Amino acid sequence: MFPTINIGPFVFPTAGIVYLLGVYLALTLIERAAKRLELNVEATYGVAVVGLLVGIVAARLAFVVEYWASFSQNLISIIWPLTSGYNVAAGLFFGAAAAFFYGRFKQLPFWSTLDALTPGLLTAFIAISLADFLAGPGYGTLTRMPWGISVFGIRRQPVQLFEIILGLAALGVWWQVVKRGAPAGRPFLLSIALYSAGRLFLDVYRDNTWLTADGYHIMQILALAVFVGCLVMLMRMETAVALKNETDQQEG
Amino acid sequence: MLKSRFEWTIWIVVAALLGAAWIFVSKEEVKEPSILTLTEAPIVGHLAPDFTLQTPIGETVTLSEFRGQPVVLNFWASWCGPCRVEMPFFERTQMKYNGQATVIGVNQGETADIVQDFGVRQNISYPLLVDDDNTVNLDYNVHSLPTTIFIDPDGVVQEVIVGIVNQAVLEDRIEGMMRAE
Repeated sequence: MFPTINIGPFVFPTAGIVYLLGVYLALTLIERAAKRLELNVEATYGVAVVGLLVGIVAARLAFVVEYWASFSQNLISIIWPLTSGYNVAAGLFFGAAAAFFYGRFKQLPFWSTLDALTPGLLTAFIAISLADFLAGPGYGTLTRMPWGISVFGIRRQPVQLFEIILGLAALGVWWQVVKRGAPAGRPFLLSIALYSAGRLFLDVYRDNTWLTADGYHIMQILALAVFVGCLVMLMRMETAVALKNETDQQEG
Repeated sequence: MLKSRFEWTIWIVVAALLGAAWIFVSKEEVKEPSILTLTEAPIVGHLAPDFTLQTPIGETVTLSEFRGQPVVLNFWASWCGPCRVEMPFFERTQMKYNGQATVIGVNQGETADIVQDFGVRQNISYPLLVDDDNTVNLDYNVHSLPTTIFIDPDGVVQEVIVGIVNQAVLEDRIEGMMRAE
């Protein structure tokens, strides 16, 4: 694996570079998707940026609050260094809430905005898997299959590569659905349903995944919840469209 | 329309049941992490490479002797400004978790005299180890200082932080490793 990249006398952490590139690519894709879906590009881009910035600040502040006894002795450490010390759950919650309310404030259509954000979201997932693969924190189960990769002398499932392929497939689905002019919400729901179903399947091949006290894979439970949630929303959407068509035909 | 909704419902229930069955089938026995299958590497999720070094006064310290409690391995040098900034945090952490967790400082490429002087001047009570030929620094791929490695009670690397860490991060990671145990 390649935890660091050497450029001349400087050494950079690979994961950090991949995350930065991932954010840049995700924001670029969101901008292009908004253009293609004929949304207010600036406002849609703003939703992503607001969500990201508020998420980072909230994650840091939540960590500071949690460890106030330590930070109170050295206030400068609240803002420096920033390379570690975040509460991810708080960041996700407040980032999502800020993005939602910013979208409402800008009067963006809910489902179309989610459609535009989807390629960015999937790109972020791909970047996380790639950083995991290159820097090595996540690794697969033991295997003798020919596609296994050697991780410090032991042959393992290239589980992060599977996740990257899954993310690209979900991006492909999003692109195809958008190209066919599907109703708002369908690109988001179909691609996220595919991605979550894939993660539900693939998590078995992670050797250091999070488990509940009973040994169930936490990622699988989350993925199943998202997958079923997407299907339920798709059902509501599709049946509403069918009902509308029926009503239109009767009136016609 | 109703038929369509009914069909949707059937499909969703089938998908949910299949998903739940897959989760059930994938359930793992609650066991110790598969440490026997791990190799030594300075990478998260792998066994921390074992080493034996000496303090400036000649005491021998072996990493694997600290199995059973979290270890914070800090790579530093006397010329490294950021290392000096974070050292009081390590000292406070060592005092706070004395006996429950261990902080070890591994110097990069300096002589025992320099390490000794520095430790006395900075009032450091945790072990500062001499690695004058950089063997351990190379084993741990330490390119930038400071670098801090968190090792859980099983000897598995949990996190590698390049750059300064603060007191709160140290406490968070140590308590996390203690809880996981």
